[in-house]
Order: sequence, then structure tokens, then C-alpha cells
Amino acid sequence: MNMVTPLELIRKKRAQAVGRIISSGYLSTKRVYVGMATCEIAAGSKDVMEVFREAIAGGTLRDVYLSQKGCAGRCNLEPTVEVIEEGKIPVKYGRVTRERAREIIDRHLKKGEIIQEWVI
Amino acid sequence: MEKYVITLCDGTTCIQKKSREIRTALEAEIQKAGIADRVAIHLSGCLGMCAKGPIVIVNPGYSMYGNVTINDVPEIVQEHLIKGRPIARLTIDEDHLYNRFFRVFGDADFFGKQMRITLRNCGIIDPENIDDYLALRGYEALAKVLTDMTPQKVVETVKKSGLRGRGGAGFPTGVKWELTAKEPGPEKYVICNADEGDPGAFMDRSAIEGDPHTVIEGMIIGGFAIGSNKGIIYIRAEYPLAIKRLEKALADARKNGMLGDKILGSDFSFDIEIRLGAGAFVCGEETALIHSIEGARGMPRPRPPFPAQSGLFNKPTLINNVETWANIPVIILDGADWFSSIGTATSKGTKVFALAGKIKNTGLVEVPMGTTLREIVFNVGGGIPNGKKFKAVQTGGPSGGCLPEKYLETQIDYESLAAAGSIMGSGGMIVIDEDSCMVNMARFFLEFTQDESCGRCTPCREGTKRMLEILTRISEGQGQPGDIEKLERLGNMIKKSSLCGLGQSAPNPVLSTIKNFREEYEEHIHQHKCRAGVCTSLLTFEILDSCVGCGACKKVCPSEAISGKRKEKHAIDPQKCIHCGQCFMACKFGAIRKG
Repeated sequence: MNMVTPLELIRKKRAQAVGRIISSGYLSTKRVYVGMATCEIAAGSKDVMEVFREAIAGGTLRDVYLSQKGCAGRCNLEPTVEVIEEGKIPVKYGRVTRERAREIIDRHLKKGEIIQEWVI
Repeated sequence: MEKYVITLCDGTTCIQKKSREIRTALEAEIQKAGIADRVAIHLSGCLGMCAKGPIVIVNPGYSMYGNVTINDVPEIVQEHLIKGRPIARLTIDEDHLYNRFFRVFGDADFFGKQMRITLRNCGIIDPENIDDYLALRGYEALAKVLTDMTPQKVVETVKKSGLRGRGGAGFPTGVKWELTAKEPGPEKYVICNADEGDPGAFMDRSAIEGDPHTVIEGMIIGGFAIGSNKGIIYIRAEYPLAIKRLEKALADARKNGMLGDKILGSDFSFDIEIRLGAGAFVCGEETALIHSIEGARGMPRPRPPFPAQSGLFNKPTLINNVETWANIPVIILDGADWFSSIGTATSKGTKVFALAGKIKNTGLVEVPMGTTLREIVFNVGGGIPNGKKFKAVQTGGPSGGCLPEKYLETQIDYESLAAAGSIMGSGGMIVIDEDSCMVNMARFFLEFTQDESCGRCTPCREGTKRMLEILTRISEGQGQPGDIEKLERLGNMIKKSSLCGLGQSAPNPVLSTIKNFREEYEEHIHQHKCRAGVCTSLLTFEILDSCVGCGACKKVCPSEAISGKRKEKHAIDPQKCIHCGQCFMACKFGAIRKG
């Protein structure tokens, strides 16, 4: 006899998964998602990712959760980066380069300024 | 002060329930309150909650209001937008899986008209982290099936949902499942066809790269429904990142007990392996695909028997496309009734398109069935760039047809597209503007299918070759009277007598362009003229009186066809001219006429 049904088991797994995501910093003030599908990578998203990674590893960027994501479908504006803050409208940047990524770090993530001209 | 984005559902049902009047009232109320500078109003496509329409969403915070009437408008503005207090009385709490995408992207116009069911997690989650998928109800559909449903019930649910094959042919998925389930076991196979081959199409790649687990979950449910323990994903080797993410996802699923022996503690066991294809277009055809997995040459065979009866290693086999599989978890969780409420009478759910060509917003879009071509091209796609005129839209890739402006009101569903002379196909959609030559376009697609013809049956092997020869000579100015009729005769013959879908559809781009743009073919043949200026052999170049004699054209001409003294008008020797167009591009004074 099975005591635990698959449905109960998957709910437990989900709770554990959510716990792991939270403990990896999901509840940080800002969450940054970098598009990393083949098309995004071809447009240069690996460089962009590296800039964010380095900023976090180097300690200049704190309280930020960084993750990759798949293709959202906005091909002609790739690479794309989203900055999500609870309670605010998600900000989506297009055509992000190394330089733009550095500016997003300095102006948006550190000072809270949304850089309108790059917003999709 | 807080900025707000309001999204109004602009689906058919909500419009009937006066959503447009609500919009007008909202705008007026916002104006009156003097907060127009910090509130933006967007429209969305059908949000799939028609029963509770009209739907109004206020972001940030994602407050979803249902059954909104004009009388509620002042309260929304005063309470929510001015005092920042969401209105509990109007809030509906219906959690659909696709909502997640809308939460992040709902305020952008490009995404607003879309409805993302299969791509619900693409661009939202980290595809390499199973936790991200689990957190968004991942594998819950599988668990529900294993806990509460019999295989028969699963088949019935899929049948009832009205889902049809997204690979292009549109065969009812549930019927396919039922046929395979009926066959005797125990050895049966489940296959995911990820052999995406249409030029310019990337739906399956993006779906797998963005959310590999949903395809895997769909396949496990398929295995349970038909009584199979073995799944295979056939994907082309030229998709390395998709393969890497699938491998990671499979390993993670195994580690978490979603694949392997006794899945999630049930009595059902199932595992999936990946098979790489070498990238032959014909291997997207199911019998050719099966041959390729068996290690034989990828060639189709006559059907029946269908794979449901005798497929991989002559065992009953269930083959579905990536997008079809990705729909399954949603159908199980949100129900067949909900799923079949989206779309048209004959085509349910949504369809993913890879929007490309002469269009502002190139990209991947998912829209409800029944959306018109005009909405996709001009609303979602943003129209034609550089002020050019729309000429045609090509659906279904090299197997589809070109539809001119008069078909723009055509609704996206299998039957309507077929009636208009094209096909749904797997989801390629190429927009063509006035600068494109339809003869050249048809030649490009035929060149592709001719090259990819496996050579097994004569009509396709020989017929496409002859058609290509005729098209080539037309585009080179060597067309003969009667060529159009010859193309039509050959095309129809190939369609009727070819063995598989490749040959049966290969003439479509040619036949549909002849049907809709016959005058362009005639101009090429009789007047040796290409109105779009694409077929270079038909172009003539002439230097006009405005020539200042700078010599720029003379310098770039590779065949030394241009002569003239400095500061005097130059001339082109038509005997030597090779129609390359270099001089036309080099002239800074617009003194060279191309025609």
C-alpha cells in the first residue's frame, strides 16, 4: 500500500523547490534575468551575463538575484534583460551590450533609475 | 506617485460584454482625476477567462478584476489608482499557468495580444533549474494523472480538449492517442518530433531551450495514457543548446523520481532517451523519422500501416510534435473544457509562430486560434518597417502558400488557412513587402524542397527538379510562353502523386504565387521585367543626364562596362553589363536608373 500519493509527493517537492529558490536569494530586492537561448547567445548575451556575474562576485552589486531564462520571443531586440522588483512593473531592456549592462548596474540596480530609452 | 499599467482584455467575448465602453469610461475617469501621466492602458488578446469577462488587470501587484461594469470604473480609479488600495470585491482569483508570462510581459504591446500556453514558461524560468519548473506547478499534471486518472480518462481528456497536431497536419491528437492505446502491448513507443526543419522557423528550438521539462512531462503523460514505458526525443544535432538543456532536464527529472522505475511512487515506469538527427528535412515526416531512429536511411514509406499500429521497430508508436506535447500538462491541469473554450470551432487552443521577414517585431509569438493574419502582422508584429507596403504573408514554410492582402482577415485555424490556399504548417510565418519578387520567393522555397527531396518517389524527385528549372529560366529572362501552365500542371501532378508530405506540399509556394501574383510571372516571361528589381538578370541599368562624371561607378564596375571622361556623363555598355548593380549602389547622385 502506498501511503503517499504522487500528488502529495509533488506538492512536497514543490515546497522544497521553492525553499531552495528562496535560499539562493530569490527574495532579494531586485531580480535580474538574462536571456540565454541560442538566439540570445548569438546576439551576445553571454558577455552580458558575465558583466552581471562579475559585479555580484566582486561585491559591487548586492541584494540582487541573477538568473538565466529562455527566449521570450523578442528576437530583434536581443539580448534582453529583465529587472523585476516586487510591487513594481517589470522592466525589460532590449539590445543589451556589455556597456549597457554596466550602466544598468550603475544607474538602475544601484540608483533605481529606469533607463527609458532601452526599455522594450 | 506610483505608476500603473492597466490591461484590458480585448478578446471577442469581453468586447461583447462592453470592454471597449469600459475603456472609454476609464480613460475619461483617469483624465478627470488628473492622473493620466502615470496610468497607461494596454489591450490584451483573449485572456481565457471569458466567463468572468470583462477582465481588467492592474499592475503592479497583478490585481485581476472580473465581471467589471462601467459602474465599477470610478471605484477602480479612486480606490486603486489614487489611494493604492486594490478592490477585493472585484478581484477574481483564477490561476492559469499562462498568467505567469503575463505578469512579467503583460504591459508590453507586443506580448499583450498573445496568449502563451505552450510557451508559458519561456522567458520566465531558468530552463536549467528543475526547481524553477517545479515552483510553477511543474509535474503536477503528471502527479494528478498518476493519482486520480486512468489511462482511458487521460485519452478522453485529450480528445475532449480538441487539441490537434501542431506539426502541421492537424490530426486530432486525442484520436491518435486512442488508436495507439488500443493496440496490444506491452512494447510501445512514445516519440517527440523535434526535427524542426522549415527555413526561418525556430518554435521548437525556443520551446525546448526555454522550458524543456514541459515537453518531458507531456511525453510521460502520453506514455501513461497509451501504456508505453519508452520515450524517444528525435532532435537535430544542429541544436546543441537545446540538446544540452534536454539532457540536463532528463537527468534532473530522473533524480527527482519523475522518470525511471515507479514514477513518483506509482506503478508506472517510463524513461526517455534522445536521438540525434543529421538535419534532413524529410525526417520530420513520421515514417522517415522512425526509419532514421531505427538506423535506416531516412525515407518515408506508404501509410497505412500508420505508426499507431506499426511504428518504431514495428511496434505501436505515438508520435507528436514538441508544441503538441507542451500543451498536454496545461490541458490536464486546467481541464479540457477550459482548453476547448479557446480558439475556433474546429481548432482549439493557441499556435506558436516564428514571425520573420519584412516585419518590425520579428520574433516568436503565440496567439489564440482565430486571431486574424492582420492582427498578427500589424498588431503583434508591428507592421512593415520603413514605410513599405505589405505584399503577402507566407505561412507554413516551404510547404505553405503566399497569401496577399485580400486574405489578411483570414482567421488562423487549420481549415481557414487551407481554404485560403495555404496551410497552418508547423508555424513559420514570413512577411513579404513590395520589394520582394514573388517568382524569386517561390524559386527559393522550391530550391529548398528540391534539395531536401529524399529521392524515393519519382514525382517529387524528378518533378521538383523540372519545376525548379522552369522557375530559374523565368527569373533569368529565358521564360517561354506556356511556362506558367506547365508549372501548374506539374505542380498539381506532384501534389497528387507524391508519397509523403514533402512532395505533396512542395509545389504550394509556386502554385499559390501563380494564383495570387500571376501578373508578376507574366511580366517576367513576356516583358522580361521584374517589378521588385530582385531578379538581377532582368534588370537594365542606364546612366541619366544628372551624371556629374565623378567616375565612382566606373571604378566599381567588375566587367569594365562603364566608360566616360571625368566630369562628363558616363555610359554603360549593355553588352558588357552583368547586371550586378554595383554602379547603382556606388552612385551618390542618383544618376543611375535601375529597371
